[in-house]
Amino acid sequence: MAEENAPQQQSYGSSGGGGPRSSGPGGGPGGRPGGPAKRGKRNFVRKKKVCRFCVDKADFIDYKKAEILAPFIQERGKILPRRMTGTCSRHQRWLTVAIKRAQNIALLPFAAEL
Amino acid sequence: MEERLYDLIFICRPDTPEADIDKVITTLEHVATEKGGKIDSVNKWGRKRMAYRVQKLREGYYVYMVVRSSHGEVVKELERRLKVADPVMKYLTVRLDEELKRQDKLKRHRERRAARRPRKTVPAAPPMPGTEPQAAAPTA
Repeated sequence: MAEENAPQQQSYGSSGGGGPRSSGPGGGPGGRPGGPAKRGKRNFVRKKKVCRFCVDKADFIDYKKAEILAPFIQERGKILPRRMTGTCSRHQRWLTVAIKRAQNIALLPFAAEL
Repeated sequence: MEERLYDLIFICRPDTPEADIDKVITTLEHVATEKGGKIDSVNKWGRKRMAYRVQKLREGYYVYMVVRSSHGEVVKELERRLKVADPVMKYLTVRLDEELKRQDKLKRHRERRAARRPRKTVPAAPPMPGTEPQAAAPTA
């Protein structure tokens, strides 16, 4: 370990932390105390999406209320996936059924008309 | 067989006079009672813009009703009548009672959980408000 540390410290002076870090697993701990490691670590603080129906404590989703379902379809009429809307799996299941029923009675489009 | 509940929506052509729509509704009511069912409520939504064109029309007169029946014959006959009726462009029947049952179950489940929750939170509650720990700190 002592032998390994010595060349790394040398490389700090010459080429920065980039060299030892990319060289292998030994480079990781060596690079951490230095400044350059901070640069690579980026924290994305993403707001956690919550299921809107869970917030409302919805026990069922009414297919007759097109205005509730409308935010969950794309412009072209596709149903938005869960990863986009943050809906929980249970409510997404109910939602797709509700949207499909609404489509059948012309409350929602199957596909946008040109 | 236990009683079942259905949603029945149909769309009439927008140019049909109100009297014709009423006639359709009364015939449906007759059919339902004849077959041993019952129409619980009729709700005319009126002319609405449809999401897509049906029979080259953009608008339709929506009528919504709740049907109660204990055997499938009622719905079968109602749908046949709707198919034959001239002003009706489109109809949809949705079975409701199972969803209502599920809704009920979830509601009861939530109430039970809500009833259980206070017991858990009461011991945890005293430290939770911000005022009490501050009041307790100087004495300790």
